Amino acid sequence: MKQVTQSANSSMTLDRRRFLQLSALGIAATLADAACSADNRGDTAVDRPQLLAMLGPERVRQLGAHYRAATPSENSAVSLRAAISNGHGLRIPLIGNASLDAQIRDDFAEQRTVLVDGWVLSVTEARQAALFSLAPA
Amino acid sequence: MLEGDLCIVGAGAAGITIARELANSRLKVLLLEGGGFDFDPQMQELYRGEIVGQPYYPLQAAALHYFGGTTNHWAGWCSTYEPIDFEKRDWVPHSGWPITRADLDPFYARAQKVLDLGPYKYDAADWKNGDADRVSLLSDSRVVWTKMWQFSPPTRFGTKYRDEIVNSPNVHLYTHANVVEVEANDELTAVRSVRIRTFDGKEYRARANVFGLEGNGASFIEDGASGQSSISADGRFIMFGSNANDLVGRYFMEHFEMPAGELALANPQTTKTKLYALDLAKGTPRGELALSPAAQRENRILNGTASVESGTYGEAVKSTFQFIDTTMLNAMRTWEKGGKKGPHPIAVALGATATAPPTKGPPRFYHLTTRQEQAPNPDSRVTLSAEKDALGMPRARLDWRVTPLDKRSMRTFYQLLGREMGRTDTGRVQIKDWLLSDDLTWPSFISGGWHHMGTTRMSADPKQGVVDANCKIHGLANLYIGGAAVYPTAGAVNPTLTLVALSLRLADHLKATV
Repeated sequence: MKQVTQSANSSMTLDRRRFLQLSALGIAATLADAACSADNRGDTAVDRPQLLAMLGPERVRQLGAHYRAATPSENSAVSLRAAISNGHGLRIPLIGNASLDAQIRDDFAEQRTVLVDGWVLSVTEARQAALFSLAPA
Repeated sequence: MLEGDLCIVGAGAAGITIARELANSRLKVLLLEGGGFDFDPQMQELYRGEIVGQPYYPLQAAALHYFGGTTNHWAGWCSTYEPIDFEKRDWVPHSGWPITRADLDPFYARAQKVLDLGPYKYDAADWKNGDADRVSLLSDSRVVWTKMWQFSPPTRFGTKYRDEIVNSPNVHLYTHANVVEVEANDELTAVRSVRIRTFDGKEYRARANVFGLEGNGASFIEDGASGQSSISADGRFIMFGSNANDLVGRYFMEHFEMPAGELALANPQTTKTKLYALDLAKGTPRGELALSPAAQRENRILNGTASVESGTYGEAVKSTFQFIDTTMLNAMRTWEKGGKKGPHPIAVALGATATAPPTKGPPRFYHLTTRQEQAPNPDSRVTLSAEKDALGMPRARLDWRVTPLDKRSMRTFYQLLGREMGRTDTGRVQIKDWLLSDDLTWPSFISGGWHHMGTTRMSADPKQGVVDANCKIHGLANLYIGGAAVYPTAGAVNPTLTLVALSLRLADHLKATV
């Protein structure tokens, strides 16, 4: 069993901290604005991560499970969707892959990355993987 | 008694380069080589040493003790040190050379010819070779760039330059001439002669005005018990004077060469990786992803590169020391002596270990293997073993030690590389488990590249270095050192091109001063 790396060095600690901050914001957004929750949107782009093409469904599912295990506060579809939506900045509904792709690129550019099983991932795509792992195989 | 104007001890890349430069000059040059013209197990056994500290490759297999030295089995990988490698970096203790990259540029250009390389060009754009697919990854990045390598055939100095040396009217080559002592004058301000010993117990002396010692980093040793320095030329340990500043033998450095990550391409159909492919048969220049100077400064880390080689995700990738074991070394020698018929033994081994690609079409997965400098560390050192060799000389005792900065640098590099790959949607990077653990723990397969550097480091300050900017030993008027042992820092890439460039520079200095 592999774990999400948490604080192997100062830079990674920063990632982790940012990641936790984002998580907390995501949960707050969910509680405060349930109406805006993406949970009911049926937005397939959100839970179909770009990573699937690169790593395949089995590996992405494993990464998602690792992410959820390491971050219990996001261990539900509701919290994950909210966190992804919050990470989008304007909390507007995420429409299609283009918007998500841009968000992921921004994550990398602005160092909103996490290490999951050693993979350097954008926090958004890590959450997508977690969402994917919640869906039936 | 042999007598000359200049006595060069050791006929490897440095010794032969300097001797060739001085051939046909007015100087009478003595060139002393411990071995003969071929591999001899008895002679090679003199290189056996004791390993303590981090695991290391057997010393008697890492370097070769006959005419041509280690060029008799080197792989031919050549690239330049970058300007930042010569600078004093406040985040790298003991860094900084007394010369700059600009000082070395003209000699790099000359060294290209000595090593049978192409033109002195190391920009990726210079090596497109008319092929639109030979382009750089991450070309817009300020964090990562593509560092180019050229490949020597590889030039075997012992073969290629043998006749030139033997037939030179003023270079006098003596083989099986193991130097066992440097004899200084009474004031210990200059070297008077060197003492030579043979296996049958005979001794000779060579006297000259100036002496040049060639040696790799494992050969320069401080004897803590006696307080004397033991400097080896061509693997032999020879005593001279005091080592007041306690520098000789310290700062032993290697290049880390270890598998450290995986790359999954986002779009293998459109991403061009040809520039990074290794073609051992043709020796086509290739690129490696390298950390930019700006990123090194911002993150306060060491210089390093990562090779990009296609493979199957999850397959075992060996470190250099694991992959090129003594069996492989022997296979490579046999292949070369047999006229290089059939595929290269490394290509055969790679083919045997590779598993079938999971899909058709361009590969999606690539192995990333690190090549990184080691931070200078005074506690990483070579001392004298209590064991004596067949000539009665103490063997080397290598205590290779690494620092937290070494591992932190490597991990940070891969993090940065992962972010750049993601930012540009080129792909995703996975960092190996061993690299994510604490900064002090290294895996059993820790590996260098058989590059022994730093044990007679160069500095303008005698308290910081053994030799000055001209490779002359501080405090001795006429003793010079050629070889990678004078490097104060290791750079990210293999040392031979820089070693030959420095030897050419030293030869010019000797021509002007002797």
